[in-house]
Amino acid sequence: MKTKFALAALCAFAITPVMADEIRFTDHEERIVTLSAPAERIASIPIPMASTLIAIDGRTERLVGMNPTAKSAIVEGILGRIFPEARDIPSDITAPNFIPNVEELARVNPDLVIQWAGRGPDYVDPITNAGLDLMTIMYGTEERTREYMTMAATAMGRPERIEQIIDWRAAVEADIAARTATIPENERPTVLYLLRAQENLRASGTENNYNAWYHMLAGGRNAADDLIGGWSDISVEQIAAWDPEVIFLNSFEADLTLARILDDPILSLTSAAQSGRVYKMPLGGYRWDPPNQESPLTWMWTANLLHPDVFDYDLRAEMRDAYRVLYDHELSDADIDKILWMEMQGGMAHYDQFAAR
Amino acid sequence: MSSRALVVPGIGAGALPLGAFPLMLIGLLIAMLHAVGAGRFDVPWPRIIEILWLRALDPTGHPETMDARIVELVRLPRVLLAALSGAALAVGGAALQGVFRNPLVSPQVLGISQGGAFGGALAILLGYHGVVLLGMSFTFGLLALVLVGLLARINGRTEVLTVILAGMIVGAFFAALVSVLQFLADPNSSLPAIVYWLMGSFSTATWPRLGLAVPGMVVGLLMLWALRYRLNLLALEETEARSLGVDPDRERWLVFVAATLMTGTSVAVAGVIGWIGLVIPHAARLIVGEDHRLLIPASALLGAAYLVLVDTLARTVTAAEIPLGVLTALIGAPVFAVLLRRHFTRVGQP
Repeated sequence: MKTKFALAALCAFAITPVMADEIRFTDHEERIVTLSAPAERIASIPIPMASTLIAIDGRTERLVGMNPTAKSAIVEGILGRIFPEARDIPSDITAPNFIPNVEELARVNPDLVIQWAGRGPDYVDPITNAGLDLMTIMYGTEERTREYMTMAATAMGRPERIEQIIDWRAAVEADIAARTATIPENERPTVLYLLRAQENLRASGTENNYNAWYHMLAGGRNAADDLIGGWSDISVEQIAAWDPEVIFLNSFEADLTLARILDDPILSLTSAAQSGRVYKMPLGGYRWDPPNQESPLTWMWTANLLHPDVFDYDLRAEMRDAYRVLYDHELSDADIDKILWMEMQGGMAHYDQFAAR
Repeated sequence: MSSRALVVPGIGAGALPLGAFPLMLIGLLIAMLHAVGAGRFDVPWPRIIEILWLRALDPTGHPETMDARIVELVRLPRVLLAALSGAALAVGGAALQGVFRNPLVSPQVLGISQGGAFGGALAILLGYHGVVLLGMSFTFGLLALVLVGLLARINGRTEVLTVILAGMIVGAFFAALVSVLQFLADPNSSLPAIVYWLMGSFSTATWPRLGLAVPGMVVGLLMLWALRYRLNLLALEETEARSLGVDPDRERWLVFVAATLMTGTSVAVAGVIGWIGLVIPHAARLIVGEDHRLLIPASALLGAAYLVLVDTLARTVTAAEIPLGVLTALIGAPVFAVLLRRHFTRVGQP
């Protein structure tokens, strides 16, 4: 399937903001954000937001400050190669723990600061007390992701751009949902996503979990469904009891490889390992595990792996189209191989469908 | 004060000192057997017995099936590591309380736990696990102890009070360093790992890890077992001990080194598990009395059984692992409060 995204790519960068009026919108803490003009200097404290802002704007100039963890992800990943100037964006406006450094924030003089919602006054008061304009965002679901992306685009005066990005998300979601709707329950593989695996093993229940949501969208079931609440540490014995049919490893832990599962005496006996269905989440413009600007690529990758007989997205072509629109960048075959970890997992079950032809 | 000092060398403080040992031993064995049979993965008892029997017949073989691997590679090392750590932490606490003549003393007081926690957290932050984490945790536990020794040694002598104060200072310093590491840690990767490790867990127990823990803990346990007569003398007033021909400084440091060996190793393999060294010696004192010749082995048996039971709870109650430090504190704090009340009503005013 070709999404309408590819066509839209042609005109994306021709449109410039034309808004002169005051910008008003409501953020995730029900705060009315009012800007006299599109924000030209934005500081982002939440980690995934920095690369999302770059994608929404197609350039880095308006990002004047970000979380040090976001910066390291950008500098080490492909965004650092596409936008080498991102290396010079200050990252001392906040500690990794999201507590703002007001002096540094004041120094970069942003006209909008983005912060997490719902974490209490310690996280937002220093920003508002300094007289800076604030927008808070809540993390977690696809709905919220689209909301905060829209807020950011509105603040930047790029409504046409966000429409295109959200249309793409909606189109891919609908296309996948339509084709998984008829898959009977017993043909949906159980999927275990491990947010941590190097030392402790961490998984999540289904409720309000983004990973479980797109695994179900792509025709899977959450193997860790009986975990209550959010992320929890689990034992190898518990994984053996669940016996997942597919295991996805996070892309957060840089040194984590498939060997963690395939060489473990217990985990290597799970159905997933026995059938070669163990994969590490790709690392593109951002990590593919959590919600981000590239999420539809994550869903297509997941769908192709969970139901190779149902889905045959040309992922490499989709990635090229997406990177053209999001970052105005032509992906090389080597770039794609690296993002998808072809060298490490090219030999796993159903993974050769992603190989360059 | 003299009333307590007189009790210490006496033997018959507890109600049934020697008769209690077979009971405690049986209790420990039952706790361990139950722990091997319990878990999230269902392995029926006849099958467990078969697995263990087959291994006994062929000790060099390697388990091939999932249930055999779970029993042999997951549960057995975990139960043994929990038992060993429980014994080590309890005995370390009992010995330190004797030396300081203070029932509120634990390995935390000497800054050993905090030093070990800093070493381990630093290892995780730098991306190291396994042996390096172990080594760094132990090294910094030892470093904390040496710092306490340097700080507390005034005019060639070390007074108990100065050691406690120095331990508090060093402990607070390393606790602050742990906070610095948590502040610096990447919330995406190392921070959750550090936080989880600090809360304590045996979920990563393996035979190799047990092998790493055995030397430090066994040497520490044997040292304190060998020192059990001396501990009775150290529990006397400083001047009384000297008049009985003991060099309190030297003997005290032997006890500290033994306690560090055990605490540092336990922090390294399972994180910071509090309260064992505080609660168990008190419970043991209620059963066998104050005599260290009985108190040391009783603390070992009770500590082992207690930590095995708590760890079994931690890994079986829910699909998620409950952090051990949380459970030991939730159980330990109220139990300790009750013990303390009883202790003071029994001992009365000094």
